[in-house]
Amino acid sequence: MSNKKPTDERSAIILAGGRSSRMGQAKALLPFDGEPLITHIVRSLKDIFADVVVVLAPGQDVPVLPVTFVRDEVAYQGPVSGIYHGLKAAKSDVSFVGSCDVPFLNRTLISYLCSQIRDHDVVVPYWEGRYQPLFAIYRKDVTSYLHAQLQRGELRPIFLFDKVRTRKIEEEEIRRFDPEGLSFLNMNTPEDYEAALQRWRQIRRTNATEDQSIVCTVELFGVARLRAKTKAVTLELPRNADLVKVFFALADRLPTLVGSVIAPDRESLVAGQACNVNGRDFIRDSTTKIHSGDRIFIVSADAGG
Amino acid sequence: MTMYGFHGRFLHVDLSTGKLSWRELEESRLENFLGGIGLGTSLLYEFAPAGVEPLSAANPLIFTSAPLVGTGLTTTAKYAVVTKSPLTNFIADSLSSSFFALELKRVGIDALVITGHASSPVYLFVEEEKAELRSADELWHESASETETLIRAQNEDPAIRVASIGLAGENCVRFATISNEGRHAGRGGVGAVMGSKNLKAIALRGHAQVPVADPRGVAAIAASLRERSLGTLTAKYREIGTVANLAVFNQLGALPTRNFQQATFEHAEGVSGESLTENNFSRKQGCASCTIRCERLFKSLSGDEQRLEYETLFALGPLCGVQDPEIVLQAARLCDHYGIDTISTGGTLAWAMECAEKGLLPEAAGLRFGQGEALLQMISLIAERSDLGTVLAEGSRRAAALTGHDAAYWAMHVKGLEMPGYEPRSLKTMALGLAVSPRGACHNRSGAYEADFSGAVDRLKGGADRGALVKASEDFNATLDSLIVCKFLRKCFHDFYSESAELLERVTGWRYSDADLRRTGERISTLKKLFNIREGWQPADDWLPMRLLSEPIRDGVAQGVELSADELREMIESYYRARDWNENGFIPESKLRQLGLEVR
Repeated sequence: MSNKKPTDERSAIILAGGRSSRMGQAKALLPFDGEPLITHIVRSLKDIFADVVVVLAPGQDVPVLPVTFVRDEVAYQGPVSGIYHGLKAAKSDVSFVGSCDVPFLNRTLISYLCSQIRDHDVVVPYWEGRYQPLFAIYRKDVTSYLHAQLQRGELRPIFLFDKVRTRKIEEEEIRRFDPEGLSFLNMNTPEDYEAALQRWRQIRRTNATEDQSIVCTVELFGVARLRAKTKAVTLELPRNADLVKVFFALADRLPTLVGSVIAPDRESLVAGQACNVNGRDFIRDSTTKIHSGDRIFIVSADAGG
Repeated sequence: MTMYGFHGRFLHVDLSTGKLSWRELEESRLENFLGGIGLGTSLLYEFAPAGVEPLSAANPLIFTSAPLVGTGLTTTAKYAVVTKSPLTNFIADSLSSSFFALELKRVGIDALVITGHASSPVYLFVEEEKAELRSADELWHESASETETLIRAQNEDPAIRVASIGLAGENCVRFATISNEGRHAGRGGVGAVMGSKNLKAIALRGHAQVPVADPRGVAAIAASLRERSLGTLTAKYREIGTVANLAVFNQLGALPTRNFQQATFEHAEGVSGESLTENNFSRKQGCASCTIRCERLFKSLSGDEQRLEYETLFALGPLCGVQDPEIVLQAARLCDHYGIDTISTGGTLAWAMECAEKGLLPEAAGLRFGQGEALLQMISLIAERSDLGTVLAEGSRRAAALTGHDAAYWAMHVKGLEMPGYEPRSLKTMALGLAVSPRGACHNRSGAYEADFSGAVDRLKGGADRGALVKASEDFNATLDSLIVCKFLRKCFHDFYSESAELLERVTGWRYSDADLRRTGERISTLKKLFNIREGWQPADDWLPMRLLSEPIRDGVAQGVELSADELREMIESYYRARDWNENGFIPESKLRQLGLEVR
């Protein structure tokens, strides 16, 4: 696994105990990018989350991974049970819940979802007319509702959303981070699997380099530096990231800047703060693309004195 | 008829005869020029004989109040000092603030015009209808802050407000300041003019009220601006102060270092505002009637508190190659003590350091970039006008002329006023602003740098679009400086001209539209230029130091960036066009008529 320090203290939960009946073999163990799919997914999430929980079916085999394993008490009871057991085992109050058959994890989208929890209990994307409960954020507090649902036999997670404070993430919000909705592309059949592998190879070819992400440094001045008590942070961002993603990732890393330096929407700076890239240009258009190695200065917009 | 917002009169003091007279201020003058720098410029144009020698008795020293002073509107406790500058021989218009400004309005006048020369040191005491000249023999040689204390003690009245000069003003150091409550009317040598008149101080005590036309309307606008003044737009000033500029400018290759030989300072981190805040911060304070409270006091090792602004920090730090914040704090304290402008002090000393390193100025032993002790010693010599200080007290332009050789090449001034801490080669709009400003190299009378920091223009390239930007900035600032509203509130207006016009209307009862106010700003800017033309301005005066036009920046992100004479000339021509002046920068009669400026 990566040696990078996770940026998020929250937990991630992967539901791996599905039946895999249409696939004909355990989805968690499908070879993907030279390793079992579950390993691939855990590797991606470990870069973001300090605590990762994998929920398995009773007796299910998986590789050795640096995660907390929990097992459903009853096999194949569905996602509500998996989410329930995962949340109970998670160390943090807030968790990202994903499944083991979604290989294209978009870290920026996940960070965005995490940021939206604020005073909600659930943050759930709504993509192509459907809620995506297995790519969503849940508070531990909802376990009591889930427990009641299990008692009543309500096995679909969406029954939860009316009962608690739910933040629905609209398609247009999602597209800012994941235009094609690859995050929700799950694999149920051998054809899905083959298509995903092809897509993966295609992405690999598109990205000239092995690494999908870019690294930039954000240097803080004045108010930002005093508030954050740090001079600079290094951010890892998806390729083609723009300044919106920089502000977003910065807010995630340094939440203390939200409101005073980064606007509450986390996509821009507050009035009075400005952004300069590499000491050369002041950038007003936040859709400006960022390149690996860029130094982004967050400074007061007012040079008077 | 009741006048709102103004008293409608000024006090004229002739120090030669001792005559004091209250005179009417015409309503039309106040409408056309407001207060502050506008009113001051208007009075200067009238009271200064053409071609007057700045340090002669005939040069008027003018203090002005303004319509917004005393209205409770945040950041408006300010006053202006206007005279003919002994440094530039053109207009000097300086601002200072706080309780003295409020008291100036309370003594029942909109302006104080001082002419003549007292035969022995005096101070002026004004308590509304009572005004008199008193002996300042016991105050002479005292610092400004000590003078304030002594005058209050002598009069047994702690509420007296005082503006005074220190030793440097007495000795007519050409960049001496006038100081009140630790703040300074700093640039252009207004303190030297005061010293040349043997006038040590002005002490005020008043109770006069000025009614406003629509008290509830004014209060509503004041409440709204007070609230806006506490938002993120002013966070820089409220949380760190202007010293925040230093680290940013360094990263942008815009921090003048070692007399503009570099645009970055390798020791910037140690003298950055952030470091000072982390290591030396003592407390913050603010002017009277101000919610922003931008002033930062920093503690030195000795435990003394010292107020520090970006310009002081840059001029006494990187510009002189000084990396020890302790030296900067001590140097700033000495400048305050003697009453000298920190920018011109740093600029003149940086020039001298370069001379010394090049083998000129043999008497400047030990004066080298980065040599803190020599810097501190030289500040005292300047204020005392002794040894090499006699030459340096003349400012960099005159000192270079006295020194000869190529020393003028690295005298970094415009029209004789030393450059502030904005590198013109990497801030091209600012380059134009500095070149054409009527008071010389000035960062306050236009905020041309704002365009460079906005992303709206390429700051590393000049262009014919800059003339209109600089004109707009100058006119905006002329309005701000005449209302008077502090620059640090400027961005809190949603629409400055329309909101200010409404405010002015509610204060004075006179009709103002935003177009009227824009024209007022242009009128004031134009009158400053008109004054300069009368005093001998020539096109060559709107120019930048040769170094900036001959050497590319050699370090930092702007390494290799140049400012060519053609590039500057193109921008200057665009500025004259934007102002409807002729191609040589003179003002056509038609323009004067359009602005209602009658030429005597």
